Amino acid sequence: MRALVVEDEPLLNNELEEQLLEEQFTVDTALDFARAEDWIAGELYDLVLLDLSLPGGNGLDLLKMIKQQRNSEDTAIIILTARGEIDDRVQGLELGSDDYLSKPFAMPELRARIHAVLRRKFKISDNVITIGRLSVHLDHLQVSFEGQQLEVTDTEYKLLRYLFLNKNKTITRIALAEHIWGNKIDDRFSLDFINSHMKNIRKKLAETGVPDLIETVYGIGYKLNGYEAQ
Amino acid sequence: MDMRLNNKILISNAVLSLFMMLVTGFGLYYVVNTTIFYELDSHLLQHKQDIQKQLQENTSTLEEIILLGRLGSYEWIEINHYDDSFPQNSNHFSTVDTIRYPDITELSEAYRKLETTLLVRGEPHLLEIYEEVAAWERISMTVLLSVLGALFLWVILLYVVNQFVFGRILSPFYDTVDRLEKISSPTQVGEPFPETNTYEIRVLNRALNTMLSQIKSLFEDQKKFIQNTSHELLTPLSIIRQKTEKILSSPEKMDWKSIERLNEIQHTAVRLTRLSNALLLISRVENRQYEMKDEICITEVIKQVLNELGDFVELKGLTVKKKYSDEITITGNRELIHSAQYNIIQNAIKFSQEGGTVVITVGDGESEPVFSVRDGGPGIPEDMIDRVFDRFKKGEKLSGDTDSSPGLGLSIVQSICELHGFRCKAENNAGMGVSVSIFF
Repeated sequence: MRALVVEDEPLLNNELEEQLLEEQFTVDTALDFARAEDWIAGELYDLVLLDLSLPGGNGLDLLKMIKQQRNSEDTAIIILTARGEIDDRVQGLELGSDDYLSKPFAMPELRARIHAVLRRKFKISDNVITIGRLSVHLDHLQVSFEGQQLEVTDTEYKLLRYLFLNKNKTITRIALAEHIWGNKIDDRFSLDFINSHMKNIRKKLAETGVPDLIETVYGIGYKLNGYEAQ
Repeated sequence: MDMRLNNKILISNAVLSLFMMLVTGFGLYYVVNTTIFYELDSHLLQHKQDIQKQLQENTSTLEEIILLGRLGSYEWIEINHYDDSFPQNSNHFSTVDTIRYPDITELSEAYRKLETTLLVRGEPHLLEIYEEVAAWERISMTVLLSVLGALFLWVILLYVVNQFVFGRILSPFYDTVDRLEKISSPTQVGEPFPETNTYEIRVLNRALNTMLSQIKSLFEDQKKFIQNTSHELLTPLSIIRQKTEKILSSPEKMDWKSIERLNEIQHTAVRLTRLSNALLLISRVENRQYEMKDEICITEVIKQVLNELGDFVELKGLTVKKKYSDEITITGNRELIHSAQYNIIQNAIKFSQEGGTVVITVGDGESEPVFSVRDGGPGIPEDMIDRVFDRFKKGEKLSGDTDSSPGLGLSIVQSICELHGFRCKAENNAGMGVSVSIFF
C-alpha cells in the first residue's frame, strides 16, 4: 500500500515515514505544499497524512485536490492539526478527510487510526482478514493459516495484504509493483520480479497445505478469489 | 596566435614610429647632402666666373692666378694646357678623393671638383677647381645621427607612455573581457557589467547586460515551463492509469486483443508518469527549490537504499560487496542524495547479470572522497559512455526497451551532483561492468 506524508517539520515527517514503513507502506514524503501537489497530481495513495499549515499553501487545498481527482473512497486521509484548531479540523472533516489527529500524538494512536480508516476504506470489520482459513493481520503484519503463523518476507506480506484487501478484483502487475516499490522503480524492471515473488508465495502456501486462492489472470495480473469467513 | 588588443596596438605603433624615424632620418640626410652639393657647385661656378673676369679685364695674369689659386686652404685651383681630353665649353662636377700635398701626408680627403675649359689669350686651358667636402660631410653625418638618436628616444618614450595610457584607457574593456571569461552558465552571471565613461565600452556593457538578462530570464522561464508542464501532465496521466486499472480489474468480458492494448496504454502512461516525475525532479533541482541543510552520512543512505532494493538483489541472486575505507558525511539535501544513490544502485542492479556482483566503494577517491558503484554487467560501448548523463540520448524512445537504456536516472544524478557541487563520472572497468562514481 502506498502512503504520502505531508508535514513541514522534518523530524516529525521522518518519524511518520519510519512509522509507515514499519506498517509496510511504501512512502513518499513532502515537506512543502508544492512537492505535495506534485505527488498528489501523479500518484494514487491509499493513505495520506496531511498537515494543514504548510509553507507555500494550505493543506485544505490539497485535501480538495485529492477529493476532486479521485473517487473519494480510494484514498484515506488523516489530517494532522495543532491542538485547538477546531475550525480547521471541522472544515477538514467536512471536506472529506477520514479522521484527524491533534499534535502532539503518540504513535500507537496513529497506528490505531490508520487501521481504523483502512478498515473503513476496504469495508472490513476486523484487523484480521480471513479468506479460506488463510488470514492476513493488518495490525500484527502477519499471515497465518488456521491460527498458525507463516514465515513470509516483507514483500510477500505486502503482496498478500494488497490482494486480500482487493479480493475478487484483478490487480495488474504494474499496480502491484507500484504498491510495493513505489514510483521510483523502473516498470519493466520490476514486472518480472512480481512474477518471481508470486511464484515464491504460491510455493510457500502450497508447502503449508494452503489451497491455491491466487489466480493468475493471463496477460494482466493476479486475483485473489474467495469470500471472507464470517 | 593569441595577442591582447593593447599589445597589438602598442606593437603596431612602435613599428610605425620606427619606420617614420628611419624615413625622416635618411630623408633629412639626403636633403642636407643635396643642398650642400648644390651650394658647393654654385660656389665653384662663381669661382670660374671670377677667374674669367680677372683674365678678361687683365687685372691678374694667368701665372698670378695659378700661383694664388694654389695657396687657398679649403680650395685650390689648377690650370693646365688643354689636351683634348675634355670637351670645350662644358662644366663637369665630381667628388674625388685626392691627396693635395703628397710630400706632406698620405691621407686623402674628399673634394668637390669642377673641370672646365678656359680661353687664355685665345688658347684653351684646362681649369680644375677643388673645394673641400669633408667638413660638410661631417656636419650632415652629425645631423643624421642626432636626428636618429632623438627619434629613437622619442619612439621608446612613446612606447612606454602608450603602454600606460592604453592600459588605462582599455582597463574597463579588459574588466569586461575578464568577467566574460568567468561566466560558466547564463544563470550565474552575478553582478551586471559596470557603466563606464568610454562610449564604446558602455555600449558593449549595456548590450551584454541586456542580452545576459534576457538569456537568464528565458532560461528560467524555460525551466519553470518544464516544471509546470511536467506537473500538469501528471493529473491526466494518473486518470488514464486509474481508468485502465479499473477496466483491467474485470477482464472477463474482454477479448485478448483489447487486454493487450489496455496493457500497453497502462505501461505507456506509467512510463510517462515516471518521465514527468524525473523531469520535475530535475527542474526542481535546477530551480534550486531544495533546502541544503541536512547532515548526511553516505553509508547510512546506502543502507536504506539497499534495504529498499533488497528484493531485486535477492531475486537476481546478486552479491553486494561493500568496500568502505572511510566514513563520509556531507551537507546537502537528504531526499536528493537518497535519490541520486538510489538511481545509481538501481542501475547497477538492473545492468548486472544474474548472479553477478555489485561493488559499492566509499572512501578516498582520486583527490576527493568518493562513492562509487560497479555493476556486474557487460559494460557500455565506449562511444556511449560519455553520454550516459545526457538527458535524452539519440535513438532512445519512450516506447523503447527500457531494460537496455538507463533512462533519466543518471541525468537526475548529474543535476543533483551539480547542485551540491559534486562531480560524477561513469567509466568502463577493465575487467567487467561499469563504474558510476560521485566525487564529493
